[in-house]
Amino acid sequence: MSFARFIIKRSLQGIFVVWGVVTVVFLLRFSTPGDPITFIAPLDASPELRQRIAEELGLNQPLYVQYFDYLTGLLTGDMGYSYISGTEAATRIFARVPATVELAVAATVVAIVISIPLGVISATRRHEPADYAATTFSLAGISTPNFWLGIMLVLVFAVQLNFLPTSRRPVGIVQAVEVLVLSGNYAGIVLWLQHITLPAITLGTYFTALVTRLTRSGMLDELGKSYVDAARAKGLPETLVRYKHALRNTLIPVITVLGLQLGTLIGGAVITEAVFAWPGLGTLVINSINTRDWPLIQGCLIVIGSSFVFVNIAVDALYAYVNPQVVYD
Amino acid sequence: MVSPRTWRNLRRELRGSALAKIGIVLVLAIILVAVFAPFLAPYDPYQQDLGNSQVPPLGFSTTENETRSEMVNGSIEVVEEEVTVNATLAHPLGTDALGRDMLSRTIYGARTSLLVGVFGTMLAVLIGVTVGLTAGYYGGRVDDGLMRMSDIMLAFPSLVLAIALIGLFGGVTIRIPDPFVVLGLAPEMPPNIVLPGTVVLVVALVNWVWFARVARGEALSLRNEEYVKAARALGASDGSIVARHILPNSITPILVLATIQVAAIILLESSLSYLGFSGANLSWGLDIAQGRDYLASAWWIASIPGVAIVFAVIGVNLVGDWLRDALDPGIEGEGGV
Amino acid sequence: MDEILRVRDLKTRFFTEEGQVNAVESVSFDVRDGEIFGIVGESGSGKSVTALSVIDLIESPGRVTGGEVWYRNADLADEFREKRSEAVDGDFVDLRRLPKGVRRSLRGPSFSMVFQDPMSSLNPSITVGEQIAEAVEVQRRARANPRSTRSRTQGYGLGKYLVDSIVPGREYTSTESKERAIELLEQVGIPDPEARAEEYPHQFSGGMLQRAMIAQALAGEPDILVADEPTTALDVTIQAQILNLLRDLQREQDMSIIMITHDLGVIARMCDRVGVMYAGQIVERGTLGDIFENPVHPYTEGLLGSIPDLEDPSPRLSPIEGNVPSLLDSEMGGRCYFADRCPNAMEACLNSIPEYDTDSGEVVGDGANAEAVHTARCVLATREFDAAEALGDDYFGDRAEASDPETPDDAAEQEVVSDA
Repeated sequence: MSFARFIIKRSLQGIFVVWGVVTVVFLLRFSTPGDPITFIAPLDASPELRQRIAEELGLNQPLYVQYFDYLTGLLTGDMGYSYISGTEAATRIFARVPATVELAVAATVVAIVISIPLGVISATRRHEPADYAATTFSLAGISTPNFWLGIMLVLVFAVQLNFLPTSRRPVGIVQAVEVLVLSGNYAGIVLWLQHITLPAITLGTYFTALVTRLTRSGMLDELGKSYVDAARAKGLPETLVRYKHALRNTLIPVITVLGLQLGTLIGGAVITEAVFAWPGLGTLVINSINTRDWPLIQGCLIVIGSSFVFVNIAVDALYAYVNPQVVYD
Repeated sequence: MVSPRTWRNLRRELRGSALAKIGIVLVLAIILVAVFAPFLAPYDPYQQDLGNSQVPPLGFSTTENETRSEMVNGSIEVVEEEVTVNATLAHPLGTDALGRDMLSRTIYGARTSLLVGVFGTMLAVLIGVTVGLTAGYYGGRVDDGLMRMSDIMLAFPSLVLAIALIGLFGGVTIRIPDPFVVLGLAPEMPPNIVLPGTVVLVVALVNWVWFARVARGEALSLRNEEYVKAARALGASDGSIVARHILPNSITPILVLATIQVAAIILLESSLSYLGFSGANLSWGLDIAQGRDYLASAWWIASIPGVAIVFAVIGVNLVGDWLRDALDPGIEGEGGV
Repeated sequence: MDEILRVRDLKTRFFTEEGQVNAVESVSFDVRDGEIFGIVGESGSGKSVTALSVIDLIESPGRVTGGEVWYRNADLADEFREKRSEAVDGDFVDLRRLPKGVRRSLRGPSFSMVFQDPMSSLNPSITVGEQIAEAVEVQRRARANPRSTRSRTQGYGLGKYLVDSIVPGREYTSTESKERAIELLEQVGIPDPEARAEEYPHQFSGGMLQRAMIAQALAGEPDILVADEPTTALDVTIQAQILNLLRDLQREQDMSIIMITHDLGVIARMCDRVGVMYAGQIVERGTLGDIFENPVHPYTEGLLGSIPDLEDPSPRLSPIEGNVPSLLDSEMGGRCYFADRCPNAMEACLNSIPEYDTDSGEVVGDGANAEAVHTARCVLATREFDAAEALGDDYFGDRAEASDPETPDDAAEQEVVSDA
């Protein structure tokens, strides 16, 4: 099977999974206790008013009609209207996406830039102080709840040292870059950097620790293999042996594990956003759950679930791309 | 089930690894603290003492400038005064904003974390192994159905799914009488252990998929073994084949995965408590959330429970590494929070 | 014929959790210009470790702890004659006393190696052509700038690797070295080399892959090629082809080969001279004729007895009883290590045995008789077997007990370690 067919097949599977996600999310609403009308209508609303609200929102229709309506709505990008504010759910949700993507990407970049060199150093200087430091860091990193890490960073860098803000997001990276390009003013970038630093470290630490661990153990495995001896025997300098040969084969399985851990990244983003008042999907989903704002809850879960599915497909594609031995099945 | 060879591997791996020893010590310590909390805690963890709020831990006495207005010779003046809050042996880890003893709350917090970690994992194992063995043993449509379902489950990040389920169903707690208090051994301690029931259910619901996948894989590879075929030919029922031949052989990978999952679930529980979704009124995560508001004046309220979480999770992770290295079940450390 | 390599008293130890393993114990041998020197022994006898020690590829927890490896290279000898006089003897340099960087730079142009399992000895995620081109490229860079070891790397670090993987066309290898790689593939008899160079190892058959492996080893035009069980992992029909190829290449390039094998058939077919290894020692060495027709050491005789002789089919083969000893330092006494399995063990065998010249019966040592042609570590080289001094069959305890059923794991790991 060719690479293109592999991608098409995985995408079709992905669409099927997304449909499953939509259905589960839709059914979730009907399996939870509490009539949504009680949350929408005023406390002293008359039965007639309640009836009217139900009709307006289509809540009195049979389940399959509501389900069909919701599905057709989704296809046109309509996720309904927020029960609380009355605004379009899709607009609200997609307005929050950039903040979350920004945070997740920043954290991933931090994690990759730190963890791979750290893992390599740890593996190539086994049983030296650098290795002990790296393994201790990675053990602590995968064992620390990230919301607590975030609070501790705030305590040290914002409260005690007064060096960075406790966060929020006064400016997005896109706006900041726009300002820089149009007016040459870099204050926006600085502001953005100041506000994203602590959240990105908070979210990125678990991944840094995890990838450091994986890189270290993977490198140790690879360096023990026969092809490494062969590369040395043919005279290759150690740097090439390590980076071109061993590291390449180490990173192939690391990609798979990173794909599996994407859910952790998104879950971590939700709680990181809560700690730093970061206006992303995470804070939106928490608020919507607290107010039982169903169109928003459903929309958020669908957006999170389907982006997860498709990023995973992208990871599979990357894996197939870097690993010549992959069999497309 | 646990062969002498397994024991030998465990012992050998333990001998060579200081980290495994540290892990076992940490885990044992946490278990002892959780079990004997009523005897170890100096105070009732719920007992408030507003006159003694925000007492710092030993070695961290604080001095703050406080201003107040005073009548001096008939006119109002603003007087600035140094107020020292002394650490005291009575509260070695200090008190929180309501004057509750941090040491007692941290000790009792171990119970919540451990109960959710252990019961949540057990429930996830029960669900996951049942579904996984069924799917793997029968294969075909049952298997396809399970795999699609687990794909959908995995599309939701577990924390997001847990928040959604718990936020919607509400946090139900179960009160279990504390045997030590019932027996009158620690009369001044809280009479009930509060188990956040919904949290246990939800962490099991979001984590069973990992066990199902492992159990399915084992069942798939074992069902074509000669001895399983032989048992079938001899007329053994499916149930007894699974129970006698397949389940015992799946124990090792499931045990290792379960250990790793206990750590993940402890982290998940603390996250849910931090966000205020668990319904528990005594949890490390909850204390961190409450301490968040007092970072400037009382850093220890948010800090101390976090240290407890880190030690607990490090301990479980180290034990998990030890089991994985010794038993080598061939699974990666997948399935995080 | 002159020697190109003189190994003297080489010792390699592995420091494992179970204790010190004496994988190579006082091994001495010579390799001459353009000859094939065979090292034969059972698995776990230390033959691979000997080869890896010579080309300095022993890794932690192992270490070469003693001995000398004299390599004939007039240029190196001149370079170090002043700086390190103790490391130079005529045209020879002692590799063990040269700086690590220099030793490394000899891999490729002086020494190269063909490994046992071609499937695991090539990187699965890099094309075969690229891997051979790398080997060419290192030497090309070294020649262009012989003084600097850095130029071979050209600052190739982690950052560079990341850039190279993202930016296409920025590679370590050059067009030149890729063309040479294709020539090499052709030379080792791979059809359609240009297309095959673009393929990955898993697309090759075992025999073709071993040819590619040989091409890679030849890229630096080495003086000495170490072939470690080069045919063991291959089908019988392919084995002969690979052996013929090695022999032809050896003649064409006028290089020397150290052939490591457990297969006496390979030795008989390929080698000019042979060393027989047992328990980390070379117990007997000599020309092919010496070893096959006039063996002195009972172990050598035993090995020869365990292969079927087609011309004189005797009813039964006579395998050697017992197992290779563990090589753990603590368990190695000061005696002939073969004594417990030896049918002719005598009281004299309970002392540690030096190498004897089989002709004169004198000890081969530093300087004295070092050029001896046929040597054996056996008292039978000096005297006849005397039944009156023979040790009883049960002298070393029950032989079945030697393979302790309690510790199969340990034994297995031991073998892996000492054969690494």
